[in-house]
Amino acid sequence: MTWLAWRLQRTETLIMAAVLALLLVLLIPTGIQIANAYHQDGLAVCAGSTPSQACGNLLGNFMSRFESIRNTTVWLTLLPGLIGVSLAAPLALELEHGTHRLAWTQSITRRRWLAGKIGMAVGVALLATLALTLLLTWWRTPFVHLNGRIDPAEYDAEGIVPFGYTLFSLGLAMAIGVLWRRAVPAIVVAFLGYFAFRLFVDIWLRQRLINPVSTTWSNATRGPDLNHSWVLSQSPSDRLGNAVAVTPQPCGSAILKPGGPHVRCFSTHGASYSHAVYHPASHFWSLQSVETAIFAGAGLLMMAFAAWWTHERTA
Amino acid sequence: MNDLAALQTRELGKRYGSKWALRDCTLDIPAGSVTALVGPNGAGKTTLLQLAIGLTKPTAGDVHVLGRSPRDEAASVLPRVGFVAQDHPLHRSFSVADTLTLGRKLNPTWDQEFALRRIERLGLPLSQKVGQLSGGQQAQVALTLALAKRPDLLLLDEPVAALDPLARREFLNALMEVVSETELTVVLSSHIVTDLERVCDHIVILSQGRTQLVDTIDDVVASHRLLTGPRTDPDTVARVHQVIRESHTERQTTLLVRANGHVYDSCWQIHEVDLEEIVLAYLGYGGISPGMRNDTREAVAG
Repeated sequence: MTWLAWRLQRTETLIMAAVLALLLVLLIPTGIQIANAYHQDGLAVCAGSTPSQACGNLLGNFMSRFESIRNTTVWLTLLPGLIGVSLAAPLALELEHGTHRLAWTQSITRRRWLAGKIGMAVGVALLATLALTLLLTWWRTPFVHLNGRIDPAEYDAEGIVPFGYTLFSLGLAMAIGVLWRRAVPAIVVAFLGYFAFRLFVDIWLRQRLINPVSTTWSNATRGPDLNHSWVLSQSPSDRLGNAVAVTPQPCGSAILKPGGPHVRCFSTHGASYSHAVYHPASHFWSLQSVETAIFAGAGLLMMAFAAWWTHERTA
Repeated sequence: MNDLAALQTRELGKRYGSKWALRDCTLDIPAGSVTALVGPNGAGKTTLLQLAIGLTKPTAGDVHVLGRSPRDEAASVLPRVGFVAQDHPLHRSFSVADTLTLGRKLNPTWDQEFALRRIERLGLPLSQKVGQLSGGQQAQVALTLALAKRPDLLLLDEPVAALDPLARREFLNALMEVVSETELTVVLSSHIVTDLERVCDHIVILSQGRTQLVDTIDDVVASHRLLTGPRTDPDTVARVHQVIRESHTERQTTLLVRANGHVYDSCWQIHEVDLEEIVLAYLGYGGISPGMRNDTREAVAG
């Protein structure tokens, strides 16, 4: 069965390997370039420290130099979804062409057939995701040093969530594929469904998975390190943390530096304090674990459904 | 359980939604026989064969293949049963050699030498893609795949329906050759009656999800007679023999009967009928006898 499952998944696997090879060719040179710039500019000292004027300039230069390529790689967060849906294709194609009847009337039970087919898809999908995640994590190292990795721009290519995304899209495409028995439309619909669910989690659900930290601090002090955090909201406030609307805004919206002119301006308008709701860097693994559990759990459930449906309801 | 039954069903039924595809099907197909499963499209032939190989689950009744349940004991039934599904599905992107590898990898009882010999005899290059073969050649490859697992029972679902007359003849010849060499039991479904008499010794007639007739072909041909005579009510005949079909013209009555013993009646001219005509009579072509019509109504209502 391993031979057959591999033989029927060969095309998808080779396409994926080609895409990964292309990414390697594109990302390794630029990754080396970014890492070199990071060290030569001496940006390591700026990571997480008090923003000084010199650091601000260095950082600005560094970021603007690599901004466009960094924005491009943000799209690579869709790759786990593509890996998942394309590896669900062999199952849907067999049902579409009726060749499952050929396999089921040889000597193996359909339980073994399903295990071989789903196991092969899951194995290759996870390997491809591992390769992708290792590559992207390495590539982003300088940005992570500077901005932390809980920021939404980094978070979904880091850690373990990509594996959840892959399993989710694979399970969704398999479930739709065994019901619809048409590979191409099932894959397209599954990818759209994956994309919609990712948007829902990114925009609404993730920040609510665990309680964010809520803090109020005096503008005279430095306050918490929001640079490596995921800030959900931040506003001038009174001592109790109630937001103070400064209207019309005479003070601008620049960063509040202790003793700076903005702080004095806010103080005269009754906002001597700042209030922020945020996920600190320490929430990274808790958020990752919960989000991965949701995606991977839903993915595995959908795979189990696809297997059950095929085992019981398909002739 | 009858040791000799290769395929045995008891009140077997399969329902899709509210429609019964097969209903109250009870039959024994003896080991070593070659059975034709005959009926129009939608009669339940595919359903019966799929139930026999365990592709679908029965809604009612039981099916046993070589004494075992094909669904619950799949691991021990599947190696002993060869199956060629309708339109003989194969992986079109596989070469002939890949297709044989599939058979070898998925069947513990696979006979590679036999498979290679058959492919060679068919004149098919091993490197050829299956998708590029003709329909007849694909059917032969599918048959090879089913035979090389060395089954005790071979189930063929409409194996010749999609083939041209020449390919049909070649396929059936190949099948007959294998049957004559081995103890293989064969059940093959078809809506084409021509040629079957040459290959098969038993017949099952299915119509509207029910079995109409299960017998050996010799007995079927020997027991059915066409009676013609002056126009009359067939009741006297129906008391002794089973009237399958009747038709009347102004002056003449024609009856197709399944004779219970010999027909001794001087009012009737007695003719022999061929298998095709008998099958067509059971399938309701050319007028249905009153008795049959009642049966049909029960089948629909029940």
